[in-house]
Amino acid sequence: MMDFLRRFSRNRGAVIGAVILITVVVLAVLAPLLYPESPWKMVQRPFLPPFSVDGFPLGTDTLGRDVASGLVHGARVSLIVGLVSTLVALLIGVPLGAFAGFYGGLVDDGAMRFTEFFQTIPNFALAIVLVAIMEPTLPTITLAIAIVSWPPVARLVRAEVLSLRKREFVDAARLAGLSNTRILFGHILPNAMSPIIVMASLMVATAILLESSLSFLGLGDPNIMSWGYMIGAARTVIRTAWWLSFIPGVAILLTVLALNLIGEGLNDALNPRLARKGR
Amino acid sequence: MTLVAAIFGRAAKAAITLLLIVVLNFFLIHAAPGDPAMVMAGEAGAADEQFIQQLREQFGLDQPLYVQFWNYVSGVVQLDLGYSYRQQMPVLELILDRLPATLLLTLTAFGMSLLLGIVFGLAAAARQGRWGDTAITSMALLFYATPLFWVALMAVVLFSVKLGWFPAFGYGTVGAGLTGLDLVLDRLRHLFLPALTLGLFFMAVYLRMTRSSVLEVSQMDFVKTARAKGLGEGVIRRRHILRNALLPVVTLAGLQAGQLVGGAVLTETVFAWPGIGRLMFESLTARDYNTLLGVFLVSAAMVIAFNIITDIVYRLIDPRI
Amino acid sequence: MKKIFTASIMTMGLAMPAAAQEAGGRLDIVVQPEPPSLMLGLVQNGPTQLVAGDIYESLLRYDTDLNPQPSLAKSWEISDDALTYTFKLHEGVTWHDGEPFTAEDVVFSVDKFLRETHARLRVSLAHVESVTATDDHTVVFKLKNPFGPFIGVFEAGTMPMVPKHIYEGTDYANNPANTTPIGTGPYKFEAWEKGSYIHLVKNEDYYLEGQPYLDEIYYRVIPDAAARAVAFENGEVDVLPGGSVENWDVQRLTQMDGVCSTGQGWEYFAPHAMAWMNNREGPTADKRFRKAVMYAMDREFVKDVIWNGFGKVATSPVSSKTNFYTDDTIMYDHDPDKARELLAEMGYDGEAVRILPLPYGETWQRWAEAMKQNLSEVGINVEVVATDVAGWNQKQAEWDFDIAFTYLYQYGDPALGVARSYLSTNIAKGSPWNNVAGYANEEVDAMFAEAAVAATPEARQQIYTEIQQTLVDDVPVAWLLEIEFPTIYRCEVQDLVTTAIGINDGLRDAWVEK
Repeated sequence: MMDFLRRFSRNRGAVIGAVILITVVVLAVLAPLLYPESPWKMVQRPFLPPFSVDGFPLGTDTLGRDVASGLVHGARVSLIVGLVSTLVALLIGVPLGAFAGFYGGLVDDGAMRFTEFFQTIPNFALAIVLVAIMEPTLPTITLAIAIVSWPPVARLVRAEVLSLRKREFVDAARLAGLSNTRILFGHILPNAMSPIIVMASLMVATAILLESSLSFLGLGDPNIMSWGYMIGAARTVIRTAWWLSFIPGVAILLTVLALNLIGEGLNDALNPRLARKGR
Repeated sequence: MTLVAAIFGRAAKAAITLLLIVVLNFFLIHAAPGDPAMVMAGEAGAADEQFIQQLREQFGLDQPLYVQFWNYVSGVVQLDLGYSYRQQMPVLELILDRLPATLLLTLTAFGMSLLLGIVFGLAAAARQGRWGDTAITSMALLFYATPLFWVALMAVVLFSVKLGWFPAFGYGTVGAGLTGLDLVLDRLRHLFLPALTLGLFFMAVYLRMTRSSVLEVSQMDFVKTARAKGLGEGVIRRRHILRNALLPVVTLAGLQAGQLVGGAVLTETVFAWPGIGRLMFESLTARDYNTLLGVFLVSAAMVIAFNIITDIVYRLIDPRI
Repeated sequence: MKKIFTASIMTMGLAMPAAAQEAGGRLDIVVQPEPPSLMLGLVQNGPTQLVAGDIYESLLRYDTDLNPQPSLAKSWEISDDALTYTFKLHEGVTWHDGEPFTAEDVVFSVDKFLRETHARLRVSLAHVESVTATDDHTVVFKLKNPFGPFIGVFEAGTMPMVPKHIYEGTDYANNPANTTPIGTGPYKFEAWEKGSYIHLVKNEDYYLEGQPYLDEIYYRVIPDAAARAVAFENGEVDVLPGGSVENWDVQRLTQMDGVCSTGQGWEYFAPHAMAWMNNREGPTADKRFRKAVMYAMDREFVKDVIWNGFGKVATSPVSSKTNFYTDDTIMYDHDPDKARELLAEMGYDGEAVRILPLPYGETWQRWAEAMKQNLSEVGINVEVVATDVAGWNQKQAEWDFDIAFTYLYQYGDPALGVARSYLSTNIAKGSPWNNVAGYANEEVDAMFAEAAVAATPEARQQIYTEIQQTLVDDVPVAWLLEIEFPTIYRCEVQDLVTTAIGINDGLRDAWVEK
């Protein structure tokens, strides 16, 4: 563990990323303490620029709601959506890819055709259709994002398992009489963890971007204030109040950036020599 | 296996996949609440049962789902993608009408991003660990992390409204009757901002991929051998490193093919570019089933075609296959 | 004594231009969203009316006070018993394809074509016994009973004249001529680049000498609201019809040099924003809850902040711009305490109430959010539902809502635009335009029926006053705002809005000062 942390911290970018992400997480967790009132509350005159009125460092939006409050509460939404959708995508993609890579043959063929179907429809288009069908709420959006995100995971895991199953430790395990499932989940997959973890960090970033894009197009959950929602709502007033789009945009940028840097750091730390495998 | 045989095999598999896609998409899209008759009635500002019923009959929606399904699929097999009641034209014609605009945008963005990505990626790899590398990779990271629609909006505000360098939206100057070189220049001026916006993200992707790929290949044994043999740095770079390093980039580029048709939805919406992405979004809103299915079908066909092309390119580039 | 209206008397009522009209010029107007079709007889949604209103015409037009003016009919008379309407048509009018326009076209349009395709006109046609052409240029409408609003249905979008020689005997919906609409109007259809623009050109053979003044019009399709504002600022577009840009931009744009705006041109439609409340089930079925909602809302705030001061808070089912409005009703001012009292009285248990916003832009989203805030403050548990256009229509049609935003046009007369929302005979699943709330009051039904056919305007006013008082007390629907949609245009464009439907048919008289 100490070894891992040491290698991780050698990458300056990764450390910066970690610091940013931790800040975002802390703000998100402390949201109810920092801004106990609902961010939807209309508290001041609308269109106040940042720093113009005490207590409203980031100004107010079109209905007079506190931008800072929205930003902090939005952090929770973005992080939750990012994390949960990635987890679900992993839950779908990892087993699928593992079985495909391990058993090969028909199982592999079937799984790959299934994956291919999802990859022929552009990511974003499929997400839009799914959300339109399921009607936008936080759970359905998270699910839709998970559904469009799992194919690359499956592909990655399949490739990893394919190369790992030829190794000697697998033969040894078989000789020892372990069942296939045990071998797969107990021995092979743990060795494939590193690229999966790296990919997961990037998926969280992509999920946050997807959620904000959906909100921007008006397909977000209208009861949840997310960063994407804030940008979308401010789109039509971009000429008079550009900061309303700018500020949440910067928030998304920083978070996604942080996740990417952390991903690279993880990559360096977990695969010192076999870095960059399995994109 | 010979190249021709391989292509044929893939094409056959592709046809089956396409058919499956049509089937799945059909039921997926019909699962959305509401139907085109509802939408039209809603926009009419006044409607009664008779009105909506008439529309349903006209659109063929009053028939049971499996009948509609059969009609649609049998049409597709004969290359008839149905009729768009919303746009009042056959779907195939509608798509072919709008496809060039999207292809122009995405291919330009794609080409630009691939070219710039590889160039900058190589530059970064050559200066690894030094200031130049950090600068380039930071820039790439920035472009990667920024939400596309945000970049689009900011670009419009900066370049179009404040500086007035480029038009804010549209495919060309309307009704100006331009021809020849004037037309080309006008089109390019309108193309610049949307292509730039769309391309920045992918440029970052290819940049990072090229950089890491080159770095990885440079460490490999055969490169050390080549150096030991006394080959010049330039020859090594071009013939050995580049060729091998570009393989994963080509794969990635092939995978992005799916974005060529539908990936520009956001850009097309913000820039009022009359392409397929926008058509897809609008037909979803209007529940224009036939058009939506048609767009998905075309997109799927292109992805599959691209996969086949990528395979061929792979065979040509990779000396090992 | 017959009432005779002639062209000369009416022209005196029109606004006389300050300077002489100049011929020539091109206008670029925004249209949003792109109309599904331009065949006005089949499709009557907003964008179609905007564009096709200058391609097709009807027998009459209406000025901003809702007084009828000649259009294809140069004069008309109404018999004393109000049962016979005789219209004398202009001579020398031709369709865009050169064929002559005659009374036969009128009879065909009304009796055959529109009766089958036009849902809204059908309701009015129920009062019509016969339509006949007594000669090439005279049409006679015989009614079964006096119907005051009848003189108000001869509007381009309500009763467009369609060519008999093209549509008779054909399948109207699939007639190939639908893609190249043929009317009698001042502009002819020239081209339609889907996704980009619609191109109309001057009708050289128009029956009014010297008109229209403009050479051509381009209707530009720009899907993004911010882009539309930019287009206007950059000079690419000359006119922004009401509702094309968000209200915040309206303020900014109108303050620019050389930019004019007007709130006129909507008197016929008088868009009335309201929120259906489900009278059948849920907390909204209780009158006290509905009254609480009315008291809880701060409609002045919405008008000032979300609509930038445009519009007027609606106090009644009838708009103040429509005939027979009265303000002699209960007024629901912003009073959260009263709202809480009512909720306590009815024993509201905190059951969640869903708000369905209008899926047409940011303004409506903000409105739903503001309403949610207002209601939460008095203790109502609210959730906003997200949906797109198709879903919104579906939910209303299937009665799957608690509170649903909408806005309806009034069409100048309560019998035409208001009654349909409150008649118990209009309760039927499958349409978002009937009595969606499910309000059923036999007395009100009877009053509406009586008022529609009452003999004199005074008699009608009396009944409508009583109707409004009853409805405001029962509050089946939350009346929100009389919407004002300012039209923004460059000051060089003159006489753009001279009628009650504004730009829709105003381009006949518009001209550009050079």
